[in-house]
Amino acid sequence: MSTTNTGDARELAVDFHGDEPLISGDMSFHDITELVSGHTEKRTPLGWLAAFAVANIGLLILVTSIAYLFWNGTGVWGLNNPVGWGFAIVNFVFWVGIGHAGTLISAILFLFRQQWRTAINRSAEAMTIFAVICALVFPGIHVGRVWAAYWMLPIPNQMEMWPQFKSPLLWDVFAVSVYFTVSLVFWYVGMIPDLATLRDRATKGLRQKVLGFFSMGWTGANRHWRNYEKAYLLLAALATPLVLSVHSVVSFDFAVSVVPGWHTTIFPPYFVAGAIFSGFAMVVTLLVIARRIYKIENIITIGHLEKMNIIILLTGTMVGFAYITEFFMAWYSGVEYEQYAFLNRATGPYAWAYWTMMSCNLLFPQFFWIKKLRRSIPFMFVASIIVNIGMWFERFVITVTSLHRDYLPSSWDYYSPTIIDVLTLIGSFGLFFTLFLLFLRFLPMVAMAEIKAVKPEADPHFYDHSGDGQASGTPSLTSSHSE
Amino acid sequence: MSSKLRSSSPLTWLIDPFSPTEESARSDFRPGRGSLLWIVPTMIGIALLAVSAVGWSIDPGQFYFSYLVGWAFCLSIAVGALFFVLIQHLTKARWSVVVRRISESLMWTFPLLLVLSIPIILGMHDLFHWTHENLYDPADSHYDPILAGKRSYLNTPFFLVRMAVYFIVWCTLAYRLYSLSVREDLTGAVDIKAKQRKVSAIGLPLVAVTTAFGSYDFLMSVDPHWFSTIFGVYFFAASFWTVHALIALIAILLQRGVGLQKIVTAEHYQDLGKMMFGFTVFWAYIAFSQYMLIWYGNLPEETIWYRHRLEHGWEMHSAALLIAHFIIPFWVLVSRGAKRKKAILAFMAIWFLVMNWFDIHWIVMPVHAADHAAVHWLSLSCWLGLFGVVFGSVMYRLRRHSLVPQNDPYLSSSLAFTNS
Repeated sequence: MSTTNTGDARELAVDFHGDEPLISGDMSFHDITELVSGHTEKRTPLGWLAAFAVANIGLLILVTSIAYLFWNGTGVWGLNNPVGWGFAIVNFVFWVGIGHAGTLISAILFLFRQQWRTAINRSAEAMTIFAVICALVFPGIHVGRVWAAYWMLPIPNQMEMWPQFKSPLLWDVFAVSVYFTVSLVFWYVGMIPDLATLRDRATKGLRQKVLGFFSMGWTGANRHWRNYEKAYLLLAALATPLVLSVHSVVSFDFAVSVVPGWHTTIFPPYFVAGAIFSGFAMVVTLLVIARRIYKIENIITIGHLEKMNIIILLTGTMVGFAYITEFFMAWYSGVEYEQYAFLNRATGPYAWAYWTMMSCNLLFPQFFWIKKLRRSIPFMFVASIIVNIGMWFERFVITVTSLHRDYLPSSWDYYSPTIIDVLTLIGSFGLFFTLFLLFLRFLPMVAMAEIKAVKPEADPHFYDHSGDGQASGTPSLTSSHSE
Repeated sequence: MSSKLRSSSPLTWLIDPFSPTEESARSDFRPGRGSLLWIVPTMIGIALLAVSAVGWSIDPGQFYFSYLVGWAFCLSIAVGALFFVLIQHLTKARWSVVVRRISESLMWTFPLLLVLSIPIILGMHDLFHWTHENLYDPADSHYDPILAGKRSYLNTPFFLVRMAVYFIVWCTLAYRLYSLSVREDLTGAVDIKAKQRKVSAIGLPLVAVTTAFGSYDFLMSVDPHWFSTIFGVYFFAASFWTVHALIALIAILLQRGVGLQKIVTAEHYQDLGKMMFGFTVFWAYIAFSQYMLIWYGNLPEETIWYRHRLEHGWEMHSAALLIAHFIIPFWVLVSRGAKRKKAILAFMAIWFLVMNWFDIHWIVMPVHAADHAAVHWLSLSCWLGLFGVVFGSVMYRLRRHSLVPQNDPYLSSSLAFTNS
């Protein structure tokens, strides 16, 4: 190409403007393997056991409160006549939302060639899967007659009983279970080369056998890599529409109804933006701690965290703009019920929740315009938690404020949760952290093969400049099993 | 430097705010001498607008609606181009540097569009039902309590103020981004990249808000009773969808001459094609969300809008939109090969432009002709007339500067870009 000879002078400028390196601290391929694999191979640290114990207490709380619910029925929750949907739906939407970042990072950012995703995709995908598990608990326990929970699925039966196909709640069952399945497959397929690395390093028979089974005979052969990369691209392409569809379908639960404040056409994209917002916040919360404890600061750098904070700023502002659009359009519509619903949100008995949501989701992320704060670990940690508080309240505001004053003023009521509601929510965090801690302990928390591929040494021409002329292949192809 | 760069006369400022800089372009990036690419569309455009003016004297009502469709079509291109440039800077995109000058040229359409909006302002009484005074007089038989409730927003002075605000935001941002880029061609100053990012960061929320409200004002309020919170997203989706097609089309046209040879490659076309494909799906997602939620809710004040588009022949337009705006582009562009072949991509780019116009026609025209669906010849002459003038001005601007941002630090990455 005739123009590339003008590139030399430009090359300097690229360095000048270029991003900070994706992996800092001058780590070799071997260092990466040692660091990431080492955490799954050493003796269980005491700190992990302590954290696991705490998470298990949370899980116990969840199991106990669900058992109590099953024994007594949904009357133990704070639901009342106009507010038939309370904490269970709020928590469901909250957890599904959290579960959005993982697949966005692994699929959409992959298609957009965002190489920084490689440092965080594994743990974000794990988080996604665990969040969706937490989410699936809530519709399951909300059915009243739990022994008939399988009726949610369209299973042929002698009674000719079918679910209501016109109900978005059924679409949810399909959307969330498809999302869960694809995310799980995507996560697992992406992990195979790393599992093979762990297998090759394993010294004990059982560990070798288990890892050998799950790494599916991976040898790192050229043909394996070709198939793997093709599969990965296809899965990314399939998962991309799912990232948008799942939360769109969740938003249909509300938006297909004619409840003022629910029936608004912006719900699908606005729910998706909110889900990405909360999901990224959760990734920041988890990784700020994990990178410190597991000493992977060179892999998950401040630069990665900053990029996530920019996405939080972007999606938070999108969500905030959607709030304002809804408010404006409720007024513009001239429909008095819509107008009242929004006025009631901002000034009625739940105004405290509305303004919590507004300040946490729209105002607080605006601090991320300041570069110093985007790169400050303590600040982003606090901010990420505030964002998720705000996003939980968003679902609370949507669900409860629209229901508690419906079309019939004589049935208006105030909803407040019971202790069981609160304990179930706390318990769901127990389940989430139990699963996440197990992941950190037993699986490679960083996609080793992928981060090796984004290191400059992985470029086939990298060694051309140094003149040794030896390594012109792709180092990432051989590194995962030979080290 | 800046004083030398700035164009002197107000008329040329409208078309291109800078004096020509193509002399300083490196030989590979020179736009070439041919002037057919801008003269022919401009001439056709002016001729068609003259014919449309005759149409105005016959049927002013039809003319105004047809003109609004054509104008909103051009606006969607300019808005899409502005979004394109903002997003490329914010994401530090490298692949797109070789086509960025085309989008920068497209986004300087705003000043011309402001001038071309005069017929819309003159035709407001025909276009916008809410301008009728008797709607707001409780004693009048046409009194409309719903519209009376919206009067503090939907009234002529505030409409004009809002329009001024939109165009100030759009023109200012377009000027800043375009001038930074052209200045970089001359000086290669290293701080320009950072400035472009800064302007883009501030610009993105401003453009998002003005585009959403602009779409409510120019398109949604044509049917003043109807409302939909997703409408701004719909207009954004259509704009962003179209602009990738037009960028690809212009690059292909330039390559038929002497410009951009071996600079824009199949790799770049494939990326543009991916975005065209992706936003085909995104547009369908937004369009479906809007339709499905209104259909399911089945509230008369919302469904009436679709009712009008599903009877008296408009149902054919709605079906055509589904098939030709979504299904056909989806299946054509899903393959890798189609995105990399210039002939197919150029065909699809023209297809996209037609469909975007058809979409806006479908939004606007049923308000004017609810009981007989047809494409009036004025709709075609206004659309192609406006687009001819706009397209001619874009091609004229492209001739006056380097065809790529020649000192952009990412240019070498963009030139060497491959998809593998």
